[in-house]
Amino acid sequence: MKKYTFIIALYFIGIVNLMANDSAYVEAMKSQLEKFEAAKSAEDFQAVANGFSRIGEMNATEWLPMYYTAFSLTKAGFRTEGVKEKDAFFKQAQDLIDKAVNQHGENSELVAMKGYALMGELSVDPGSRGQHMSGLVMNTYRKALSYDPENPRAMILMAQMEYGTAKFFGQGPEKACGMAKKSLQLFELEASTVNDNPLAPKWGKDMAEKMSQQCQ
Amino acid sequence: MKNILIILLIIAGIRVEAQNLVEGFVTSTKGDSLPGVNVYLKNTYDGTSTKVNGYFSFKTSATGNQTLVAQSVGFKKREFPVVFNDGPIEIDIELKEAIDQLNAVTITAGAMEASDAKKAVVLKPLDIVTTPSAMGDIIGAFQTLPGTSTVGNDGRLFVRGGDASETAIFIDGLQVGNAFGTTASNVPTRTRFSPNLFKGSFFSTGGYSAEYGQALSSALALNTVDIPLRSQGDISIMSLGGGYTQTLVGKNNSITASANYFDLSPYQSLIKQDFDWERSPYGWDASLAASQKLSNGGMLKAYFQKESNGLKLWQKQPGEAGRGTLIGIKNKYTYAQSNIKLIGKNGWSYTGGASYSDNLDQFDLDSQMVSQQNRLIHLKGVAIKDFSDAISLKTGVESTWSSYQETLVNEGLSRDFLDQRYNVFLESDYYLSNQLIFRGGVRSGYSVLNDEFWIDPRASVSYKFEHEGQMSFAYGTFSQLPLERFRILNNNLGNTEAEHFILNYFISKSGRTFRAEAFHKSYDNLVTFNGYNQAPEDISLSGQGYAKGMDFFYRDRKSIKETDFWITYSFVDSKRKFDSFESQVQPSFAPRHNASVVAKHYVSFLQSQLGMSFSVNDGYTYTNPNLPGEQNAKTKSFQDMSISWSYLPKPNLIIHLACSNVLGRDNIFGYQYGQEANESGLVPGMPVVQGAPRFLFLGIFLTLSSDKSANQLNNL
Repeated sequence: MKKYTFIIALYFIGIVNLMANDSAYVEAMKSQLEKFEAAKSAEDFQAVANGFSRIGEMNATEWLPMYYTAFSLTKAGFRTEGVKEKDAFFKQAQDLIDKAVNQHGENSELVAMKGYALMGELSVDPGSRGQHMSGLVMNTYRKALSYDPENPRAMILMAQMEYGTAKFFGQGPEKACGMAKKSLQLFELEASTVNDNPLAPKWGKDMAEKMSQQCQ
Repeated sequence: MKNILIILLIIAGIRVEAQNLVEGFVTSTKGDSLPGVNVYLKNTYDGTSTKVNGYFSFKTSATGNQTLVAQSVGFKKREFPVVFNDGPIEIDIELKEAIDQLNAVTITAGAMEASDAKKAVVLKPLDIVTTPSAMGDIIGAFQTLPGTSTVGNDGRLFVRGGDASETAIFIDGLQVGNAFGTTASNVPTRTRFSPNLFKGSFFSTGGYSAEYGQALSSALALNTVDIPLRSQGDISIMSLGGGYTQTLVGKNNSITASANYFDLSPYQSLIKQDFDWERSPYGWDASLAASQKLSNGGMLKAYFQKESNGLKLWQKQPGEAGRGTLIGIKNKYTYAQSNIKLIGKNGWSYTGGASYSDNLDQFDLDSQMVSQQNRLIHLKGVAIKDFSDAISLKTGVESTWSSYQETLVNEGLSRDFLDQRYNVFLESDYYLSNQLIFRGGVRSGYSVLNDEFWIDPRASVSYKFEHEGQMSFAYGTFSQLPLERFRILNNNLGNTEAEHFILNYFISKSGRTFRAEAFHKSYDNLVTFNGYNQAPEDISLSGQGYAKGMDFFYRDRKSIKETDFWITYSFVDSKRKFDSFESQVQPSFAPRHNASVVAKHYVSFLQSQLGMSFSVNDGYTYTNPNLPGEQNAKTKSFQDMSISWSYLPKPNLIIHLACSNVLGRDNIFGYQYGQEANESGLVPGMPVVQGAPRFLFLGIFLTLSSDKSANQLNNL
C-alpha cells in the first residue's frame, strides 16, 4: 500500500510542481505560438492575442507575453478592414508596448515592435499620415538598432519602410535592398547563435527573403 | 491486481484534474453579440475568446471558488465569482461600453481642429503650409475654412460678421498680444508665428469653451510641438529673404533656435507694384524654443521670440494730387512664454504658464511722430480632474495685466492706462455614453480699470449617430473689453457682449468629411462714437447688431486619386450699429456670400505636389457719401485664384513656387473718400486696391540631418 501512497504523493507533487514551474509558462507560450503560426484572419489573431494576454496576466515579470500580444494585435490590424478598426488594433498594440517598456525597460525587440505597429498605423492612410509619421517610424527602428545592431527584425522592418519612402520619392530601392540583404545575414547569424530562451522572437526571415527576391 | 490498482489510481488522479466546462454568450448592453472577447479564469491559464456569435466555451481543472473575467477593448472589464462543483457552468455575460474618448462623440459645434491625433479633424497641420493662397501664413489657411471671410486689404481673421479684433489667439492656452504684424491701413498683414512651431490648432468660430475669453467671435488655440523628431538644420532661401533653424534633440529634451531676415526691396524692384513704396517692408526675427520631458508624462516648455521690422509708404489721398501722405512704420515685438504640464495622482493633472507680449509701434505720419506700446502679461493655472472615464472637470484661474501707452513724440505728450483682469473658469464634460456628451461651463471676470464683474455661461451637447455622423449644439455668452484706442479715451468703458447659438452636423468617414453649421449671434454694447475714426468723440457702448447664417464644408481625399480637395461655402447675414454709423448696417468686413475651393494633387513622376486655391465673395459694402444712406454701395465680387508647385527632387530638399491671383483680377476692397465735395459737388473717392496684381513666392528649403529622408515638412 505504501507504494501506492508514494505514487499518489508523487502524482500530486507532480501536479503542484507543474503548476509552480516555469515550464507551465513556457508550455503555454509554446502552445500559443503554435496557434500564432496557424492564425490566418484578424479574428484568429485577436484570439491569439487574447491567449498571450492571459499568459501575461499570470506572468507579470515576463515581457514576452506582452510583446507577442502586441505582435498578434498588429497582425490583426493588417488583416482587418476599415480605418477605425485597423487603428484600434494598432493603437492597442502601441499602448501595450509602452506598458511593457514602462514595466520591463526598453529593449531592441520591444522598440522594433513599436515601430511595426506605428508602420501599421501609417499604412492605414499613407497619403495623409506619411508626412508626419514616416520620420517617427524610421527613428523608432533606428532606436531599436541602437539597442541591438544585430536585430534582424528591426533591420528588415526598416528596409520595408525605406523601400516605401524611396518609392514615394521616385528613387531607386538600392538602399532598402542593401538593408534587406543585411537583415538576411543577421537572420543567418541569429539562427547560428544559441539562445537559451526558447521563446525569444525569431520571426521575420520570410519578410527578408521576399524582399530580397523583389530586389533582384 | 496491483497494476489494475495503479491504473485505477491514475484514473482517480485524472479525476482530481477533472475538466469542468464553462460556457455562455457575451453580448453588449445593447444586445449585440461580441466576438473576440477574452474570457478566462483569473490566476489560471484557462480561457478562450468568443466566437462571431459571442459564444465561448472552455474547460478548466480549477475547482472551488474562482473568478471569471471578461475583457474586450472598448468595454468595461467585468469579473464574476463562480463556484465549481461537479458539472458545467453556464453564464451569459453583458459588457458595458467603456467611454473611449479617442473615438467617442466630440463637440464639433463651432470647432475646427487641425491635428494628427484627433478624430473630428478638418485640417492636418501640414495643410496649413501647403494651401496655395496661404503663402505659409497660418491664418491664410484658416481663411479657406467655413465661417471666415477673406478681407484682402487686412489679412487678419474675420469670423462670421465679426471684425478682426473679435478673434483672440492663444499659444498653449496663453493669450498672445499683437499676434499680427503692424502694418499701414489697407496693407495686408501676416501672423508673426511660423507654422513650424505648432503641432496642431483648434479654431473655433463660436460657442467655444469657458477656458477662453476676451473674444466676441472666435478663438484660435495653437499648440506647440513637444519634442521635435530629430536633430537637424533647416536652411530656407526665399525670394523675400532667408533663414536658418537649428534643432537639437536629446533623449528627454530639445532646443530649437531660429533666425530669419526678409526684405522685399529686391522683389519689388523686379515686379511692378501698385503701392507707392518709399521703403519696402523689411525685418528680422529670432526665436528660441526649448522643451524638457518630466517624469510620468509631464512637460516643461519655453519659447522666446524677438523681431523688428519696418516700412515706408506713400498713400495717395482722395481728391489730392501728388504722391499723398508718407507713412513710416517701425515695429519692435517681443513674445515670451513658458508653460508646464504635470500629471498628478488620482486623475488630477495640472497646467500652468505665463506669457509676455510687448509691442512697440513707431509711426511717422507726415512728420507727425506717434508711438504706441502694448504690453500684456497673462498668467494661468489650470487643474483637470478625471473623476471617471465619463466625467471630467477643468478649472482655472487667470490674471492678465495689460498696459497701453501712446505718445506724440514731437509734442512730448503721452497718455497711458493699466488694466488688471482676473478670471476664474470652471467647465465639466460628462459623457452619458460614447454617443452623448454634455459640456457645461462658466467663466467669470473682473476688470480693475472699469471696475466691472461679469459672468459668461457656456454649454454644449453633442450626439453621435449610428452612421458616425454627429450633431452638436452650443450656446454661450462672450465678453470682450473694447480696443485700447477707445479705452484710453474712456477708462470706464465696460465689456462689449455677444451671445451665440450654434447647430452643427459633422461626419468624417473613409477619407471624406462633411460639415454643416447654422448659427445666430447677437451683439450688444458695441462701441459707438461721433466724428472721425482717427479722432473719436463721445465714445459709448450703445451699438448692437446680429450675424446669422450657415456654412458648409466638404473635403474629399478619396474620390480622385492622389488628390485632396475641399470646398467651403459660408453665408453671413450681418448688420450692426457700431463705430460712427447711425443705423444698423452691413459691415464692410462681412460679405454675404463667401466660397473657396482648395485642391492638391500629387504627381509621382514629377515628384511634385500641385496646389490650387480659389476664393470668391460677393463684394464688400462701403459708404458712398454721394448717395443717401450708410453702407449704400458694394464693390464688385472679390476673386482670387492662387497656385503652387512644391517640387521634392530629394527627400531633404523642397522647392516651392506659389503665385497668388494668377488671373490678375483687379480686386477692390472698398472706396476711400475725401472729406469735402469738390467743384462739381461730388466727394472724390478712390478704390482700395491690391498691392500688386500678383504675389510671387519662390522658396528653397534644405534640411541637413543624419536622417536623409528628413525635410522641413516632417517637422509639422
